[in-house]
Amino acid sequence: MSAEELAREDPLLRALQGTGAVEEEPLRDPVRRLHVPLAELATATQSLIEAGGHFSGIFRSEADDSLRALLALRGELVVLRATLDSARSYPALSRVTPAALLPERELYDVSGVVPLDHPQLEPVLRPNADELQRVVTGPETFVIPYGPIRSGVFEAIQFPIDTGGEDILAFTVRPYFKRRNLEARFPGLDFDQGAYLAERVAGTESVAEALAFAQAVERVAGIEAPRLAQRWRVVHAELERIANHLDVGIKLAEDAALSVGVARFGVLKEQVMRLRARLCGNRFGRGVVVPGGIREKPLLQPAEVIEAIDAFEEDFRGDRSLLLATTSLTDRLIGSGRLDAETVIRYGGVGPIARACSLGIDARLERPYGAYGRLGFRIARATDGDAMARFEVRLDEIDQSLHLIRQALERMNVETAALRNAVSEASGEGCGWAEAPNGEVIYWLVLAGGLVEEAHIVSPSLRDWPLLSESYRGDVLTDVSFIEHSFGLTPAGADR
Amino acid sequence: MLKWLLRGLRHGVVTTGYPARTEPAPPGFRGRISVLDGAAAPESFADLCPTGAIQVKDGLVSLDRGRCILCGACVANAPDRFAFEATYETAVRRRSALVVGDEAAAALEEALPTLGDRSRTLRRSVHIRHVDGGSDGAEEWEIQALTNPYYDMQRLGLFFTPAPRHADVLLVTGGVTHSMREPLLRTYEVMPEPKAVVAVGTDACSGGFSATMGEVAGGVDQVLPVDVYVPGSPPAPIAILHGLLLAAGVVTREAAA
Repeated sequence: MSAEELAREDPLLRALQGTGAVEEEPLRDPVRRLHVPLAELATATQSLIEAGGHFSGIFRSEADDSLRALLALRGELVVLRATLDSARSYPALSRVTPAALLPERELYDVSGVVPLDHPQLEPVLRPNADELQRVVTGPETFVIPYGPIRSGVFEAIQFPIDTGGEDILAFTVRPYFKRRNLEARFPGLDFDQGAYLAERVAGTESVAEALAFAQAVERVAGIEAPRLAQRWRVVHAELERIANHLDVGIKLAEDAALSVGVARFGVLKEQVMRLRARLCGNRFGRGVVVPGGIREKPLLQPAEVIEAIDAFEEDFRGDRSLLLATTSLTDRLIGSGRLDAETVIRYGGVGPIARACSLGIDARLERPYGAYGRLGFRIARATDGDAMARFEVRLDEIDQSLHLIRQALERMNVETAALRNAVSEASGEGCGWAEAPNGEVIYWLVLAGGLVEEAHIVSPSLRDWPLLSESYRGDVLTDVSFIEHSFGLTPAGADR
Repeated sequence: MLKWLLRGLRHGVVTTGYPARTEPAPPGFRGRISVLDGAAAPESFADLCPTGAIQVKDGLVSLDRGRCILCGACVANAPDRFAFEATYETAVRRRSALVVGDEAAAALEEALPTLGDRSRTLRRSVHIRHVDGGSDGAEEWEIQALTNPYYDMQRLGLFFTPAPRHADVLLVTGGVTHSMREPLLRTYEVMPEPKAVVAVGTDACSGGFSATMGEVAGGVDQVLPVDVYVPGSPPAPIAILHGLLLAAGVVTREAAA
């Protein structure tokens, strides 16, 4: 086939026709890499979005002084590479998609590369809590600086709220109060140490972060974890998902002043945390996932884990049906913070927030990794796009996670198989991803001589924060905590 | 509501008896790392640790639990000199007490007097304000867990308060980032005397992985006087409870070396 015929056959190349994009050596299926002229990067991004692509992130690679834009397109992850020149600028992708607004401000802050015509190119990484910008000006309106220290035990983030007293006129999300510059901490670490650091980028999704990192290393090295290790990884990742979704339940019940609901969901979550501690010695599953497999034999037998989740499930079902029948909670969730699918797509939203708008966005099914391709489950979805829909998706996902754990543990032969394959001293660049409880996390790595040379993280929190601003339509101040907690995002993920 | 009440009674009492009774950690729990007696250590042991917690001098090893992230790289590579301990009680009142190993840390600094020593009325009702100085988010989960029925910290007279002006204890997580430094200082300044600061987690004790990145102060004690250090990545709820009770002067038993 000629190049032109090939382009007609291939939806990706067809979408990129006329942008000067040249396909480079692919980074193992399903990651494809294309070189694009810098001036055409925004056009190419737009073409991919029009073809159904979902914008994930943009960053600058030091290794070859070029930009990388990441987009998910029909089961493939597309890496657009554009080499920077002495002008240190390029046409901003934010003009094409609002999903690039925060990543491009970050890029500018970190590297000084200027996204031309960016609508809001101001420093973003070291926010000052006192410097508030009003979105709405007018008589009898004011801005409430909600955060970075808020009532209760919460992570630091600021939500300036423009209001006339009750109605929310504008809701701004200001992340980065806890930025630790951890991406820059990866260079020089060996692969195991890299996984330990990944676990500490966002602690509530430690397993997913380590998984995305480890799978990126494995993809560069051209190996896979042993089947048995892949199944244990599923167990840990799904326990993490359950714990996160239960945490949302606790917070929502607390917002509705439903004390027994808080206590019951607190008991359920603690059961899961204790199971994780018994399984691996750490309540967050840290230290389990290492590049090449898992660290060591789990401390529990598969039958013991199944027994524990059976007991958990019985409790969970009762508490769930009671919670969903408690109108003092559900009345606050129904209709609050409503998003539509079009907005979620425009902002590149991921996780339960996207699935609550009936979008089938889930990395476990789009680009199956590890054992997920061999296990049966469905994407939990809801249609209404409001806080209630997001909560229903989470409750449904707990069921699916329990189902996945059972499948992973069934007929598991724990005695014979290896748990870890050796990772060669592979060099090169590669991507790994995992569906964290709040959406897909992607690690893009450059490796050399058994060490990490460069790391960039696409965080689900960063991708979903702008949607929080978008979700306040006709809501009032007392809805704020319900809507925020229905998002369930961890600031640490974005503030990496 | 009646249904909820019955639901709440389902498990009976699950609450721990801590601190009256010790709460055992499950077997294999990675609570902290200890240095075992043994042969002279090679200098290369220091390279085992990604956060620089291990130091070797003249064959003698020391481990700084305030820097240790409990990854276990040292335990895996030198199991004859390092071992995990399945314990929850890890809090101490002096930073130097977190350094353990072949050579006992010399010249311990004075610990700050506990709240109980400074005011006789406080120890039965202690109000706590939490501030996130740049954690990874896991510490917040473990602090919040103290209110669940398993730990139920209210039974010990410990309460969270949103108002720093009502708070006796400032519970700080994270190594204190640029943007959180000023809000943290302001919170501390408006708290009435006597007050105590508890640093929760390895990041709060030393900055952990981010210590060298220039974005964090490298531990809460670089910004504020710290009364109690609770190392761990993250510390378990009982460990945080131990730290709170130490600061209040309700328990006096610090983590042993």
